[in-house]
Amino acid sequence: MSQRQIRRAVLALAIASSSIAVAGVAASAATPTNVRFVYDFPGPDFELTPLVVGITEGIYQQAGLKVSVLFPPDTSTTSKMLTTGSADVGFITTSDMAVAVQAKAPLVSIANYSMSNNWGLFAKPGSKLTLANLKGKKIFSWGDTWTNAMLPFVLKKAGLKASDVTVVTASNDIPLLMSGKIDFTTSTSNYGIPGILEATKASPVSIVGAAAGVPNVPVWVYSVTRDYAKNHPATARAFLAATLKATQWAIKNPAKAVADFVKKYPKSGYSSFYSTKGWGITVPLLTNAQGKFFTQTDAQWTLLANGMKSNGQLKSVPSASTYYTNAFIPQQ
Amino acid sequence: MSHQDLLRLEALRKSFGSTVALSDTSLNVQRGSFVSIVGPSGCGKSTLFNMISGLERPDGGSILIDDRDVTTRTGQVGYMMQKDLLVPWRTVLGNITLGARLTRRLTYDDRRRAVDIAQRYGLGDFLHHYPMALSGGMRQRVALMRTLALDHELLLLDEPFGALDAQTRFEMQQWLLSVWRESERTVLFITHDVDEAVFLSDRVLVMSSRPGRVVDDITIDLERPRTLGTLTSAVFNGYKSQILEHLHGRVGP
Amino acid sequence: MKSRLLRNVLGSLLSFVLVMGIWQAIVVWGQVAPYIAPRPLDAFRAISGDWSTLWPLTLWTLRETVYGFLAGAVLGVVFGIVMHKIAMLQRVLYPILIVTQAIPIVALAAPLVLMLGFNLGPKIVIVAWIVFFPVTVNVLDGLTHVDGDLLTLARVLGARRWRTFLVIEVPAAIAPLFSGLKIGATYAVTGAIIGEMAASSGSSLALYQHNANANLNAAAVYGTTLIMTAIGISWFLLIVSLEFWATPWRRRVTARRRRIGGKHK
Repeated sequence: MSQRQIRRAVLALAIASSSIAVAGVAASAATPTNVRFVYDFPGPDFELTPLVVGITEGIYQQAGLKVSVLFPPDTSTTSKMLTTGSADVGFITTSDMAVAVQAKAPLVSIANYSMSNNWGLFAKPGSKLTLANLKGKKIFSWGDTWTNAMLPFVLKKAGLKASDVTVVTASNDIPLLMSGKIDFTTSTSNYGIPGILEATKASPVSIVGAAAGVPNVPVWVYSVTRDYAKNHPATARAFLAATLKATQWAIKNPAKAVADFVKKYPKSGYSSFYSTKGWGITVPLLTNAQGKFFTQTDAQWTLLANGMKSNGQLKSVPSASTYYTNAFIPQQ
Repeated sequence: MSHQDLLRLEALRKSFGSTVALSDTSLNVQRGSFVSIVGPSGCGKSTLFNMISGLERPDGGSILIDDRDVTTRTGQVGYMMQKDLLVPWRTVLGNITLGARLTRRLTYDDRRRAVDIAQRYGLGDFLHHYPMALSGGMRQRVALMRTLALDHELLLLDEPFGALDAQTRFEMQQWLLSVWRESERTVLFITHDVDEAVFLSDRVLVMSSRPGRVVDDITIDLERPRTLGTLTSAVFNGYKSQILEHLHGRVGP
Repeated sequence: MKSRLLRNVLGSLLSFVLVMGIWQAIVVWGQVAPYIAPRPLDAFRAISGDWSTLWPLTLWTLRETVYGFLAGAVLGVVFGIVMHKIAMLQRVLYPILIVTQAIPIVALAAPLVLMLGFNLGPKIVIVAWIVFFPVTVNVLDGLTHVDGDLLTLARVLGARRWRTFLVIEVPAAIAPLFSGLKIGATYAVTGAIIGEMAASSGSSLALYQHNANANLNAAAVYGTTLIMTAIGISWFLLIVSLEFWATPWRRRVTARRRRIGGKHK
């Protein structure tokens, strides 16, 4: 294709998609606007509950949207799928957002998913392990940006150097924890607790959030490309408004919400017990002190970026506005 | 029963199922002689060789070399087949000493003697060549050297030149005769080629099949050394037609 | 001989330049964002820029590859010989060996980590697991296809079985052995990387790449891939050189070293 042809094709595509967007949002269900939502994990789990409820209970449809859920080949590909146009809205960790911005990937976070940091260390039930005897222990890592961002805070709180512990990176934590190959796994409470609960029928020893020394920043956000934000503001707004409704519905009807998830993804590999437990722990994380959903602050981004700079993940700390916009969040 | 007989076969017989591969055969081979065996396929030539070499157990009878019973004992004779069976990963020298290496520890002497044999019989310039670099005739020479190197007095040669072209074949025959004369060995030689049998031998045994047996034993009284002229002499042709008559008079249409 | 070597080297260089050229062209003309795919030069720069970190990791991966390869080669040869010598065992083992190769290596990695931990152990097992099979099959094939007449000849000459084995069967299996080793060599580094992906304690090349990928550092991702490829190619070339050295009869007219009888002229 020649340069001109490409330009013409892009132009045509832009006109077509924007007209669809406008028409879709305006004319409601007649011709719904497609929103391709890409998750942060290669397979579905309970954090998708609001999305599934929105789809299954017809909430997106009422808003004139047709939401489809995509899964990336690995956790690092979500942001790339957004920038290459393979997806419209992405679900990523705030640390992924930070490295994406550093790599000049034109992404912008449009809403928080959770509002606080529920990440930490988890040991087998009955374990006597604490931060005080962390030295020499084996700690599991998924090798993702979030774990990389948070672990240094734990070590700092415990007064240890990186060489004082062994970080084991592998693809699955529970079997390693159960067999004693690792002392701690790292996770967020909504995943870590149900996982160990299901494997051992007992609650794990957990060191989470402030106890683990990590900054209180949100873990996951909804994110789009800057182009998408510019060209499809109505869709973004409609998506968040509908997602808010769906989230609130899922909080009010947790049993039905999880049932919706299990029905849509019967082969997720997670038991109904796990998903119910996980969603139950997730619910209180979704709102801030004022009971508000989604709302992002300069402080959360600055805090995260400073932390990631201090452990070498970021070279510099850009202004908070580089990361986010609250412009599409509905009135609450 | 003269001491001059190197090999004696006494009432040797062998059957495979209902097929008699070799019926009661007795035979004396004089020390230092060159004896050829001709006959159609299935006449028991190979069975005979397999028994003499110890590979197969006869149903009855015995095999004596120098009056020692060697029935079913291997390692008593030199054996050379139509295929040269040179191992590609060894040089000419390595192939000549293969027999020694297969049966005992290879000594400096073995190698020294292999070099001597090779040099004496025209392989001196090829000692360190790999077989792949040699022509068919050369390869057969190496194979014969390997057979010689083990110092067995009796050599069994099973159609060694069968795969060579006529020109090379004649050269090889003359060469074989010179090796035989100089090394003073006794040769039992299987061939399909009547010319070859007459040209090389002191004696030609004609065999027939079903049952396999020796039907004629012809002493070839031709002057040695034999040359190209021998091949066209009247005496030569007389022997030849005598053998051919035996072969075709009793077997086939 | 020399000029052929030169031509081969030149050919390889040319294909390298060609591949880099195509890569550069796709990235530049396709206007691919640097966090999706870097330019070739950036990938090399990512390697040289972090060489002090990458070099020990490279050595570590190389060690996993080599240890696993050697273990697999030895295992393959032993299996090949044993299966050749004991027909019953061949009948029992062959199906099992085929099943081992049908198991996806990735599925094998997780239980291996549970059993053997996070260090060399599982990587060596995975690499050996991949390498032993082509070696076994080729050695077995080589031993099976030794000329039967040659074995008969050895018997006629009075050779004992083990001597026949050492002097005839073993050397006959060398060329096929190298065919197996070469196949194994190309896959060995892949096995090591799969092992590192399954679990790494501390750091590893695979983990370095994983982190680079998470950080959208495509240059480092591609750079790490280049290193992994280089390990694979180097190991393969080493095996090929070894084959050249070990099987001179396949390309030389005369033996390299003249031992006894050199004064025959």
